[in-house]
Amino acid sequence: MRAAAVMAAWRAAFAVPVLVLVSVGMFALAQASPFDPVRQYLGERAAVTSPEVAEEIRRSWGLDRPLPEQYTAWLGNLLRGELGDSRTFHLPVAQVIAERIGWTLLAVGAALVLMLAASLAVGTYAAWRQGSWIDRLIVGGAYANEAAPVFWLGLLVIWVFAVRLDWLPAGGLTDAAAATVEPGDVLRHMVLPVTVLAISQSSWLVLYVRESVIGTLREDFVIGARARGLRERTVVVWHALRSALLPFLTLLGTRTPELVTGAILVETVFSWPGVAGASVRAALAVDFPLLAALTLLGTAAVLLGNLLADVAYTLADPRVRTLGVA
Amino acid sequence: MGMPVQARAAAGVLAALALVTVLVPAFAQLDQSLVNLREAGLPPSLAHPFGTDEVGRDVLIRSIYGLRVSFLVGLVAALVSMVIGGLVGLAAGTLGGLADRLLMRVVDGFNALPHLLFGIFIVAMFAPGAVAVVVSVGVTHWTTAARIVRAEVLSLRARPFVEAAISGGSGRLRVARRHLLPHLLPHLLLATVLMVPHAIWHETALSFLGLGLPPHLASLGNMINDGQRSLLTGAWWSSLVPGLFILVPTLAVAVLAQHWRDRLNPRRRSELNL
Amino acid sequence: MRVLKRAAAAGLVAAALIAGGCAAPSGEGGAGDDTFVVGLSSEYDTLSPVLGFAPDGGSLIYDGLMSRAPDLSLRPALAESAPRVSADGKTVTFRLRQGVRFHDGTPLTSADVKYTYDTLLDEAVASPIRGDFAAIDEVRAPDARTVEFRLRHAYAPFPQRTTLGIVKKDGLKQNIGTGPYRFESWTPGDKIMLSGNADYWGGAPAIDRVVLAFAPDDNVRATRLRAGELDAAVLPPKAAAGFRGERGVTVYDVPSADYRGIMYPLDQPVTGDRAIREAVGLAVDRRAMVDTILAGAGEPAYGPISPRTPWYEPSVERAHDPAAAGRLLDQAGWTLGDDGIRVKDGRRAAFTLMYPAGDSLRKELALAVASDAKKIGIAVEPAGLDWDAIEPRMPKDALIMGYGSPYDPDYVNYEMFHSAFKGQGFFNPGRYDNPKVDELLERGRGSVDEATRKAAYTELQKIVHRDEVWTYLVYLTHVYVIRGAYDGITPGVEAHEHATGGLFRDLHTWKPAG
Repeated sequence: MRAAAVMAAWRAAFAVPVLVLVSVGMFALAQASPFDPVRQYLGERAAVTSPEVAEEIRRSWGLDRPLPEQYTAWLGNLLRGELGDSRTFHLPVAQVIAERIGWTLLAVGAALVLMLAASLAVGTYAAWRQGSWIDRLIVGGAYANEAAPVFWLGLLVIWVFAVRLDWLPAGGLTDAAAATVEPGDVLRHMVLPVTVLAISQSSWLVLYVRESVIGTLREDFVIGARARGLRERTVVVWHALRSALLPFLTLLGTRTPELVTGAILVETVFSWPGVAGASVRAALAVDFPLLAALTLLGTAAVLLGNLLADVAYTLADPRVRTLGVA
Repeated sequence: MGMPVQARAAAGVLAALALVTVLVPAFAQLDQSLVNLREAGLPPSLAHPFGTDEVGRDVLIRSIYGLRVSFLVGLVAALVSMVIGGLVGLAAGTLGGLADRLLMRVVDGFNALPHLLFGIFIVAMFAPGAVAVVVSVGVTHWTTAARIVRAEVLSLRARPFVEAAISGGSGRLRVARRHLLPHLLPHLLLATVLMVPHAIWHETALSFLGLGLPPHLASLGNMINDGQRSLLTGAWWSSLVPGLFILVPTLAVAVLAQHWRDRLNPRRRSELNL
Repeated sequence: MRVLKRAAAAGLVAAALIAGGCAAPSGEGGAGDDTFVVGLSSEYDTLSPVLGFAPDGGSLIYDGLMSRAPDLSLRPALAESAPRVSADGKTVTFRLRQGVRFHDGTPLTSADVKYTYDTLLDEAVASPIRGDFAAIDEVRAPDARTVEFRLRHAYAPFPQRTTLGIVKKDGLKQNIGTGPYRFESWTPGDKIMLSGNADYWGGAPAIDRVVLAFAPDDNVRATRLRAGELDAAVLPPKAAAGFRGERGVTVYDVPSADYRGIMYPLDQPVTGDRAIREAVGLAVDRRAMVDTILAGAGEPAYGPISPRTPWYEPSVERAHDPAAAGRLLDQAGWTLGDDGIRVKDGRRAAFTLMYPAGDSLRKELALAVASDAKKIGIAVEPAGLDWDAIEPRMPKDALIMGYGSPYDPDYVNYEMFHSAFKGQGFFNPGRYDNPKVDELLERGRGSVDEATRKAAYTELQKIVHRDEVWTYLVYLTHVYVIRGAYDGITPGVEAHEHATGGLFRDLHTWKPAG
């Protein structure tokens, strides 16, 4: 317990300089960017705005001040929660994120659950049938899946299930005519993006589960358990679960960047109204306030993933070791 | 040599693809800006084995060119990240102490960045294009190389023949050239080879999102993006085929790299580091 | 361990549902079959007419003093009848319709009209459409039902401009108008909900609830339409092709004055050579562009004024003739070099053609131009760029540009060809400067005599054609797909900006067919 707390504190302390460095880096990049923020803000109105007015805006934004001063002002606003306005969505950045982050968490959370369940089942089955054609098919499929770009996979899935078969909607959160968000409607729209996200992230886990179950099957205590008359399937499944959960938790932490990446692409392909997809729209419109906030958010998510994985590992470690000895 | 069947097949596929991408200009010249509106949207046939796209360009030839473009961008990006990573790793490994710990913290910090998101940020701030893609991939992916180089430097420093060479009065540079480089190179090469498909993946993802190479250029990501529109009118081939051109070489590289890694570290358990 | 994981997962989903709940649109429920859902490609920046929302009418929420019939003729809306124009053309007087009320019940008076135009003209408001109303010197409201516009100079198209929606006095941001639909809610990035105005002076609309759903992705709109989620959508021709001949679905092809063409920087060495521009104009295969890139939904373009309007001058049309283009270049001294590209005085016949990177239609047009130009020995290098990168490069590089309005030939063309607008952003970016054209444009806008105007614009089209200011490529046909049968759908000729209005401008007159 103490170890976990120390670990958490250490990780959290590490997160602060990383986030500060990321914010400095982003600010420096934005400064070096050829895009003029005032022109971006004015949009179409830029053509009819006089240079004096533009200069006035520049002054009121403090763009004529020295860079370090500008940075501290920007960081101060950020810390006070004043994230500015998003030009893409015509809304305050905080509101854009608040309205969308739930949908991202929902899709990613559902994908994680699906990925864990499916990978455990598939990986265990492959290990159990090690060497059979179905095992080879699963392993080959996992390799191929890892090599396939997720946006391409998403398009193929849309082509098959939405265009050809017309079973499921191709995108969006709800039917366009829906005035309220009904759970059943959302669920139907969730199926394809969540499945594609889960599949795209599952290769490593399937292979990991398979290998560790194969390893477990060779161990003495499993052979002993079999000898004691436990049903083979129970033995295999139980040990598979136990051996796969820990690496799942730790690896999950290190895989958070890939999860963020997958979410960006899947949300874009399926027009899912989450924060990840919003980053692409913000990037296309050079919407710095929103893009900067989302990049910091993504970094924070990765750091949080690492933290949770470490804590879980420290909490679980002693018990696992004793089990291993038994 | 005892190469497993899969590795041999993968090597064959890669060799064939390399040959085709190198030779293609000899038998099919592709002008990036040339279209043929009179032959648009044709399904696969003898003349066009994978059909034509929405403005009449042959999907197969364009995919091969796309692979060339994506491979070039991927290779440059991978080399950039290898150079950055190699220098950082070398510095951390040879300097040691506080500098080492500090540099490794920086590596941890960079690993915490969601790569694509940061790449998107960089591209957005500097307008899409090949340079932006190379920079955005290069500056976010050098950490693997840094780790590998540092670990090798540390393990080499501890070995008797290096210690002997240093105590025998050989200069640091000489030691590095004579003993370090030959040991380091295969590992670095493997890391680069593994990096290329990943860099290609980044290029295609950025292009697909409209944040990569100029949209009329034959790149695999652009082609999938274009094909997305044709999907509804039934033209599945114009997005399926370029996707396969990403999948197949990536898969082949993964299989080969697995084999290579087994040979480099025979004692290490065969495990995919996907 | 397992318990821990399950709890974490459950917490995650619960948090998501709670957070998601906040995002639910605030409009009251009751979506059913009586709701008509329109899928639009682009979202509005604002819903305020003063700030540029639907200045040419068709907003559904607001009415102008005048409105436009599908045949482009003007008819009185909030005005009781057509305006009275003084003999010198500098005073235009409207009499307001009686008994019109805003959505909140307050009666419409001339003070609201004055407020709308005064706010629009206020420099501090910085309205993007202020330039279109620059002719107004003063707006006066002598009594509650009379509005008098004093103009700086005679401006023939002025009544055309009064289609601008009238907002309630001091209600700039309230989205309250007098139109057939009331504004209910706006979920940015998603949709706008409208409800029928039962007290509309023109009669209550038959379709009571309207949702304007925004989906920039063409595929998303098409699949949602197919799934029945949308009742109608604007679609690119290729995406609409799949709906043709389908039962229960009607595809409307609406002609437009919305052209795409090549804007040339006229003071650059290669694009400044008239022979080069004329050769490109002869070499481009407009028919193939219409057939393939537009999937048949369009027509070849030869000038800035649509053949669908009475102002069109047909003599500007010309045949696709690459051979003639080659001869022309030979005569002009552009001789073929070894690499198949022509050279004159050591200069290669090469120029860059920019297109906005996100616009696949313009990308394909740019590629088609490059391919056709290559055949006659001109190297055109396409460059896909962001609009921000395009604007500063317009003085140097050619651009696939789009514009066009069917309402009055003064619209767009004045800013596009008058030397006073030379190099001002997207107005006259090619820096065209021809005193004769300036004079014709001024005569066209200043005269109230139809015949004089017609003559001026006919002459204008001929000169612009002779000078090869642009190479016009295609006029687009806007394609709408509508599910279900309705009476009262009347396609007209549409303008460049069709997101506001388009076929749906008369939605309130549609009635479900028997």
